[in-house]
Amino acid sequence: MMDRLRLSSAIVLSGLLFLTACGQTAPLRNARLELAAEYSQSAQRAYDRGDYHVALRQYEMALQVDVAVENIAGIAIDMLNLARVNQMLGRWEVANAYLDKLLQDSALEYGTPYLATAATQKSLLLLQQGDVKGARLWLEKASAWCVAECSLASVIDNARAAIALREKDSDQALHWAERAASASRGDSPLEYANALRYMSEAQLMRAEFATASRLADEALVVDKSLGLPEKIKQDLLLLAAAYVGLGDTEQAKRYRERASRIVAR
Amino acid sequence: MKLNNYNQRLLNIEQRTKRFLLGALGAMLLALLLIAIKQDYLVRSTAIYFFAPNAQGLNQGMAVKFIGFKVGSVKEVSMQPNATVRVKVSLDDEYVHLIGLDAKARLIKEALVGESVVEIIPGSQQVQQVTQNSVLQFERGQDASSIAESMAAQLQPILNDIRQITASINNPNGEIQQTLKNLNQVTGDLRETVKQFTQLGVSGNQKLDSVHGKLDKALDSVNANLEVMDKAIPRLVDKADATLDNVQTATTDIKRMTADTAGELPAFIHNSNALVQDSQDMLEGAKQSWPFSGWFRKPEAQVLPVDGYVPPEKP
Repeated sequence: MMDRLRLSSAIVLSGLLFLTACGQTAPLRNARLELAAEYSQSAQRAYDRGDYHVALRQYEMALQVDVAVENIAGIAIDMLNLARVNQMLGRWEVANAYLDKLLQDSALEYGTPYLATAATQKSLLLLQQGDVKGARLWLEKASAWCVAECSLASVIDNARAAIALREKDSDQALHWAERAASASRGDSPLEYANALRYMSEAQLMRAEFATASRLADEALVVDKSLGLPEKIKQDLLLLAAAYVGLGDTEQAKRYRERASRIVAR
Repeated sequence: MKLNNYNQRLLNIEQRTKRFLLGALGAMLLALLLIAIKQDYLVRSTAIYFFAPNAQGLNQGMAVKFIGFKVGSVKEVSMQPNATVRVKVSLDDEYVHLIGLDAKARLIKEALVGESVVEIIPGSQQVQQVTQNSVLQFERGQDASSIAESMAAQLQPILNDIRQITASINNPNGEIQQTLKNLNQVTGDLRETVKQFTQLGVSGNQKLDSVHGKLDKALDSVNANLEVMDKAIPRLVDKADATLDNVQTATTDIKRMTADTAGELPAFIHNSNALVQDSQDMLEGAKQSWPFSGWFRKPEAQVLPVDGYVPPEKP
């Protein structure tokens, strides 16, 4: 009888504890932080569908709100995203200004993951503008900041591969790209496809056209699954170059034709 | 011994049966009492009638109210041989002395879109009170759709007038356009005259006679144009008067309708707002509680993924 009573009490107590745990509500943010987060999320959706002008406006509004309540993490995220969107819009100087503002801010102390991201973005931006030396310098800084909880390892490796390719060092390019590919496989399809593309370019440089074609083909599959027009175009051009090297000019012509039909929007 | 036990058991059964039957009888009586209370059988009431052109919105059992208090209910709605509707209303005797024979029964909605009730509109107190089988006058109160229809009907002539005036303004051969043209011409003539007058001032008084002639001509032209305007303006003023009359009538009606619904509309809007706000609060609360918290994606600011690819330089 007593045993049954104890068992019933235990069940009721467990039920109450379970219900109490279920009834817990998520910690509340204040209304302005909610608003900033909503702007940011809306901007990200616009960015994902390639609507960069809308994304730009939404991130600017998120930054205004975050600055108003001095949400340091939010400010860092907004500035990084604004730099990225401006880079996508071809406004490299504006993108650079946002990154400099973040990297040279002496008043606010941003977390190292944000600084690492900013340095990596700056390095890639400089490389895009042909400043290999500057790109290398900022990549070293990014590498130094990228210590704990840093998800940029494969991006940094890919950037190193890109620098090596600019310096016509196919061995180094292959080394860094292979490292990036193994770090990002199954984790970040974007960086995995980037690594495959760099490897393909390095193989082209070494006149290994069949391998280059295979790598570009694999990158094309990943990029199509991600829906990235510029990357798909690059993959097709790489395939065309590989087929030229293999002597199949007809196939190369077809790939070039396919590439010419890709229009980014 | 066994026989005694048997008898005792029979007695027990008999007593239980009696108790059960008494209980059932009590429950039945209680139910009948409740039904009687519900049906107002225990309330002394007076039946009065009113006649409506149609039975729309009138239902058996609907409340009858007097200055906001329920004083009875509709007992019967029936069609008469002359295609009118007879409505029998049962009034509590307690309130009959407050209702005069000249009172009116009005079908209204409690809120703008609420439940329909029959409202007794009090008559003058000097008149004799209603008695059994008295007949009251009936009228229908305005509901949201009739208000909207009435407003639309009132606004239609205004819109027509505005359309007519706009067409008249836009018509190049219309009076307004012609008047403006004439005014332009007058302005041009005057400008020319002033110019010539200045030239005359510089050159002296030699051509004074000629200037007089031109000035006369210009003034004649002004006079002619002013005549045209004199003819055109009264017609415009008449039209404007008619339009303003319509506007005034409509405004009065709208004001009256607004006054009629003034007490209800703010409460209605306030209630709607409160309802929407409550719903939002409940939804927000539910979204933050288990298990719903897992179903909704909480907005979080995230860094866009850094793209480690830089396209090759174009040769």
